[in-house]
Amino acid sequence: MLTATQAAETNLELFKWPPEGVTRAPYRLFTDPDIYQQEQQRIFRGRTWNYLGLDVEIPNPGDYKTTTVGETPVIVTRDRDGTVHAMVNRCAHKGALVCLKKKDNVPSLTCVYHSWNYELDGRLKGVAFRNGLRGQGGMPDDFDVSKHRLQPLKVEIFCGMIFGSFAADMEDVETYLGPDMAPFIKRNLGRPLRILGTHSQTIHNNWKLYAENLRDSYHATLLHTFYTTFKVNRLDMDGGIILSDKKWHHISFARRANLTEAAEYKDSNVHSASYDSALEGPGLLQAWEEFDDGITHSIQTIFPNMCVQFTLNSLAIRFFAPRGVNKTELFWIYLGYERDSVEQSQMRVMQSNLTGAAGLVSLEDGCINEFVQRGTRADPQCASFMEMGGRKVESEKSSRATETSVRGFWHGYRGIMGF
Amino acid sequence: MADNIRKITPLLLDTPSHEMVTDLIVSYAHAMDDGQIDLWPGFFTDSALYHITTRENHDQGLPIGIIRCSGRGMMADRVKAFHTANIFEPHCYNHMIGPVVIGPGKSAGAVSSRCNFQIVRIMEDGRMDLFATGKYLDEIVFEAGIARLQERVVVLDSRNIDILIVLPL
Repeated sequence: MLTATQAAETNLELFKWPPEGVTRAPYRLFTDPDIYQQEQQRIFRGRTWNYLGLDVEIPNPGDYKTTTVGETPVIVTRDRDGTVHAMVNRCAHKGALVCLKKKDNVPSLTCVYHSWNYELDGRLKGVAFRNGLRGQGGMPDDFDVSKHRLQPLKVEIFCGMIFGSFAADMEDVETYLGPDMAPFIKRNLGRPLRILGTHSQTIHNNWKLYAENLRDSYHATLLHTFYTTFKVNRLDMDGGIILSDKKWHHISFARRANLTEAAEYKDSNVHSASYDSALEGPGLLQAWEEFDDGITHSIQTIFPNMCVQFTLNSLAIRFFAPRGVNKTELFWIYLGYERDSVEQSQMRVMQSNLTGAAGLVSLEDGCINEFVQRGTRADPQCASFMEMGGRKVESEKSSRATETSVRGFWHGYRGIMGF
Repeated sequence: MADNIRKITPLLLDTPSHEMVTDLIVSYAHAMDDGQIDLWPGFFTDSALYHITTRENHDQGLPIGIIRCSGRGMMADRVKAFHTANIFEPHCYNHMIGPVVIGPGKSAGAVSSRCNFQIVRIMEDGRMDLFATGKYLDEIVFEAGIARLQERVVVLDSRNIDILIVLPL
């Protein structure tokens, strides 16, 4: 008889990507539990760097936070010497969760079930009743604490973000990002960060629909009509798409098209970038020019499941964690810089209204991917059609009316999944 | 009898009554439940703060939550966006409000109040879900005998929102 895993493998061997390639994504990808299981193995436990959190979330020795890599529960700790470790949150004894809280500060990690006790780096320190009680019971003589530990992940901190990988020989994060992606991460996150607030949103769709959605620059002004409704004069119609060398990460950016205007804004004062609009509460869009490259809006994805947004001055990390084949938890982590003035912080706070679970420009994404999930689930053999901007998978530096980065996601996905 | 009827309260300017406060809180909830979102900004003063956040953010004193409207203009913009810009699956709320406790406010003549709420969300296909639980932390002032919110901080118990928020809580 076949085991469940073997059956899944056999099932997947029959899976054929349409001959049109990455201009098509079979709907089965969003509903098939076997594919979902394979993704856990090949993507989240495979050769990827996964976002685990921020360095500033665990500043002190003994701090830990819990998160997930795919569906695998993970603990991230700060050791006494300041080193950050990550390990699977599963006791080496019976497999219970070791850490239950979202965050805490502890001298060591102890499983509540049988009190197995671990160092902050996941090495087993001791086992309760190892020598039994009153000479009775206890572990066998050959029990060796050094042979049991919490399963470690490889860890690297890049621009304040903690990444973890199950691939022990994974290349460094900067190489993983590639030469076109890493500098922009440094531009946005390469200085001491401050968390301004967080929340999460449950979206009822497969995680890859959100991965597509983030890369879909075609829908931006069509689904999200806030800017046009309020006649927001953004002066930043110029923009484009940059794909990473492996095509699975991307940057979508918009910049002020009219440099003369921008210079005028610059001359007046730091708050000059306030946008003309029909808003009754124009404070929403009070902004300042944060960088001299003119880019005012950007979304940068990092495969598999995170992105960095910079919408005017609203800087945030979005991390979307698979919670089942048709459910995803989307985390919004709003950031500022340590160096921000009170005024700058306030502008970031006001602009946070644009995004998030109630974001004036983003709330539609909470339901649109579910609409695709519900629209496609009955016909796994059909596929989506993505030829806007052609069929190529290349950067497009002068237009965002393209699905090139969505095709780029599928290009990378096919590679790592072996599809 | 119309179900949006509101009780007429006596004008107790010097001693704002518990009743005026609870009438405001209940009328607000009923208006939202009845889909009268256009009335929403009118429950606030012109310079009021409306802030939805999570307990996690609130307890840590973090400034960003889920919605922050500073002034009635921003609330009016939310209402306009609701009608003309935002896309969502139609739904409505039912608020259950717990007993209201009031105390002295931050400024002379103002009242602070706190009450718990639970909100059930009803989708068009009939599905009903417990959508939100939390507390309202209100600062209420009396303008020409009318109680209005100078501040409403909506502290949600959960960090997680199902799907989206487009109707005010």
